[in-house]
Amino acid sequence: MNLPNWKRLASDEALRKRLESRSEIVFGIREFFRGRGFLEVETPTVVALPGMEPNLEPLQTEVTRNDGARFAAHLITSPEYACKKLLAAGFRRIFEITRCYRNGEPWDGGHNPEFTMIEWYRAAADYTAIMADTEELVAELAQRFRGGTKIAYQGRDIDVAAPWDRLTVAEAFERFVGIDLTAMIDDPERFRQALTERGLEAGDGDTFDDMFFRVFLRDIEPRLGEKKPVILYEYPRQMASLARIKVADPRFAERFEAYACGLELCNAFSELTDASEQARRLEEEAAERVRLGRHAYPIDRQFIEAVGMMPEAAGIALGVDRLVMLLTDTPTIKDVLFFPANDIFNG
Amino acid sequence: MADTTAIKKDAFIMFKGAVHQVADFQHVNPGKGSAFVRSRLRNVQTGKVIENTFKVGESVETVDLDRTNMQYLYSDDTGFHFMDNNTYEQSDISAELVGDKGQYLTEGQEVIVMMHDGRPLTVDIPKKLKFKVVEAMPAVKGDSAQGRVTKEVTLETGMKIQVPLFVEEGTIIVVNTETGDYVERA
Repeated sequence: MNLPNWKRLASDEALRKRLESRSEIVFGIREFFRGRGFLEVETPTVVALPGMEPNLEPLQTEVTRNDGARFAAHLITSPEYACKKLLAAGFRRIFEITRCYRNGEPWDGGHNPEFTMIEWYRAAADYTAIMADTEELVAELAQRFRGGTKIAYQGRDIDVAAPWDRLTVAEAFERFVGIDLTAMIDDPERFRQALTERGLEAGDGDTFDDMFFRVFLRDIEPRLGEKKPVILYEYPRQMASLARIKVADPRFAERFEAYACGLELCNAFSELTDASEQARRLEEEAAERVRLGRHAYPIDRQFIEAVGMMPEAAGIALGVDRLVMLLTDTPTIKDVLFFPANDIFNG
Repeated sequence: MADTTAIKKDAFIMFKGAVHQVADFQHVNPGKGSAFVRSRLRNVQTGKVIENTFKVGESVETVDLDRTNMQYLYSDDTGFHFMDNNTYEQSDISAELVGDKGQYLTEGQEVIVMMHDGRPLTVDIPKKLKFKVVEAMPAVKGDSAQGRVTKEVTLETGMKIQVPLFVEEGTIIVVNTETGDYVERA
């Protein structure tokens, strides 16, 4: 019997407790950032121009006015553009807990089309400051809501006390699959060969990213964060996204993700502050969207302008639902939501 | 040629020239670039399980399956055993290949055995099947007042399932064999 969560609550004490914990955890996150001098901001979830990430599909809608004017609109996939405009406006430390929306994703253990994200940004800082925030946030929440930093997630014991393990992406490739990623960055043929030797077949149209993920998803990600969470940092420059390139080694970008028991928790950068480079990357992403048969949006010129005005800064997007899953030892996102998509749409 | 939507639990695909059954799969969307399907594939010949990451949209070769009406006989340590009612020939399929469907089989049941190159791989069963409830705790007064709306019962096949409180021992119920959910009283 597939009862919707709101009906299960009557008899499922564990589900009730978990959703009560969720509320406590979200309050805990707010207290953590307020205690560190961050301003909570609220930015729109209905916008004219959504993110351009080639593989994300924003929900489309339309805003109409009483005089009949109609505006194409989208629901945000992340509040990043707005938060960066606020950094350009002079705010030094901001955080936002908001709903984000992504269409066309599976409704499985880790995904729901509407989900909750926290983003926070620090001016005059790089991604190492965000790494410290992240591990302290999770350790403090575990201390408060699990009575200590040694917690179990789905039968696996993990200690979330700071500092977490740190591993560069190149070190992870070396350690888990014996691939020298640094040598592959400019040599796709060699990368393809390394995949074949490991029983993986790269398709003809495979980009560097595609080959990266074929290996990463099979052999690396499932083994990340076993005894302690791990911060995986320094991504190949092809995967820089909105991160700045490392000055000391331009083959890599200052980006990190954190994993605990194979759960991906966040994605963070030392932010790119070069407006023309930002415009170039968005144009590239727009072209990639067209190639994939998706709709390409016009570039948000005010965002490009903001990137040029921003101070040096670092920021992060962390999935609140995933964090709640980790802290309440819950295997699926459905069980940390009052109304998961399956219940709403009978899917 | 099909694409990665053909990768479903218990489906059969050709991979590196051999028939494999999808033991497990998961969609992954790393955010930038392509989406992927992480999979565990079981070679039906050797039983060996390998993992592969498919890129969403890339071509996947499906396996043509021939369908033969057979009768389910019994299961034992070596797997499930079926008989062709026309030729009286027997077919055996391992429990792993039969997968979750094994729990819905009752002796004498008509099924469709799916074969590839003369080798039986799995069975196809109707989406809805009737089963007798062989064990059920009687409903207790006050259950529904506490908001309890379902209970667990055991079916003739040994399978346990959540049903509404009014279902009793001896009731025949209809079960959805794809989701494993209770549908209605027969």
